[in-house]
Amino acid sequence: MVDTSTLTKKFQKEMNAGIASLVLLSVLDNNRKPMYGYQIAKLLEEYSGDASFMKQGALYPVLHSLENSGLLESKVEPSVSGPPRRYYAITSEGRETVSIWQGVWKQMKSFVDKAIKGA
Amino acid sequence: MIKSIEEYLDLLKTELQGSDAATVQDALADAEGHLRDALANLREKQPLVSEEEALNYVIEQYGSPAETAAAYAEVERRTVPQLARENQNTESAVARFFGVYTDARAWGSVLYMLIAFVTGTFYFSWAVTGLATSISFALFIFGLPFALLFFLSVRGLALLEGRLVEGLLGVRMPRRPLFTQQNLKWLDRLKELAMDRHTWFSILYMFIQFVLGTVYFVLFTTILSLSLSFIAIPFIQEFLLIAPIQWTDEIRYSFPTWSYPLVVLGGVMLWTTFMNLARGIGQLHGRMAKAMLVTD
Repeated sequence: MVDTSTLTKKFQKEMNAGIASLVLLSVLDNNRKPMYGYQIAKLLEEYSGDASFMKQGALYPVLHSLENSGLLESKVEPSVSGPPRRYYAITSEGRETVSIWQGVWKQMKSFVDKAIKGA
Repeated sequence: MIKSIEEYLDLLKTELQGSDAATVQDALADAEGHLRDALANLREKQPLVSEEEALNYVIEQYGSPAETAAAYAEVERRTVPQLARENQNTESAVARFFGVYTDARAWGSVLYMLIAFVTGTFYFSWAVTGLATSISFALFIFGLPFALLFFLSVRGLALLEGRLVEGLLGVRMPRRPLFTQQNLKWLDRLKELAMDRHTWFSILYMFIQFVLGTVYFVLFTTILSLSLSFIAIPFIQEFLLIAPIQWTDEIRYSFPTWSYPLVVLGGVMLWTTFMNLARGIGQLHGRMAKAMLVTD
């Protein structure tokens, strides 16, 4: 017997690997102001509604890797309550990249939709 | 059932064993900041929920320690090999020897060796002044707050040095200060800092940097001036008409014309060797800095 829920989880994880970067870049592209991790996670929670696509903790390593590739930049600022926060902002390379990626996503989406519908 | 954020962080640290020390530090800082924010937010919205329930909900959203560790490991696995790939070029020994000029890390190391002289001198003065005044002020009541300020400044300098090491030597270092426990009394914080071997290793590093910085600087200036002199010999002899080596007022020595190519080549080889050496020294220094400045 094939365990569908494990397979579904695996499928979700593999899809998230690329999509998370696109989503994070887009969010920071739409928001003019730099945002910190929890703020981004809150916003994504609003977008996803009841469905949870990925754990919030998994966003952070993606933010680090986007920063390492120069698509995001960050700075640490003290917060009124609790530990200092790292604010992320998109770089100009990031803006260029995300607009290309959004194009790729649109094409991919219509391709997958057609494949699913079979038309 | 996880009872506190601290417990979550401990579990996460265990799960991340074997990962890069800097990744671990980032992961812990990310988790702590997020969980605190999320918990505070939830408690504000739903004050009736018990602390434990709220924490469990927040962790459920964030991911279990195992899930979070897996996410970091996954991204690390995808991004780290870039450096490893660079090393795997199968060029000839000569190409690799001269290829050092196109290696940003070699230039970074050379620059670092120069900067280390300045930072080393500063660290040394800072550490000596800080330690001496903390100890002598300990006779008075304001010695303790002074020691606290000094320890905090050491932490700050260690972080700054880490950024310098990562930027110039390409060794991954932590991106932000380790969070200490909030709402500690200043005396407890002083005790915590004084008991932490990370603080003392950082101070030791500040002393070592003084010695190493001087050695690096001497190496750099000596080899640079020697190499440049060798390369300049034909010009000095042919255009400026000066014999480059002078023992006394009477005895001067100049190189024969046939040796010009050899002398120039010697100068170039000397500098190229130094660049290769600098790259190696940079890697070693980076490893040392990581061992001493990063808490594991």
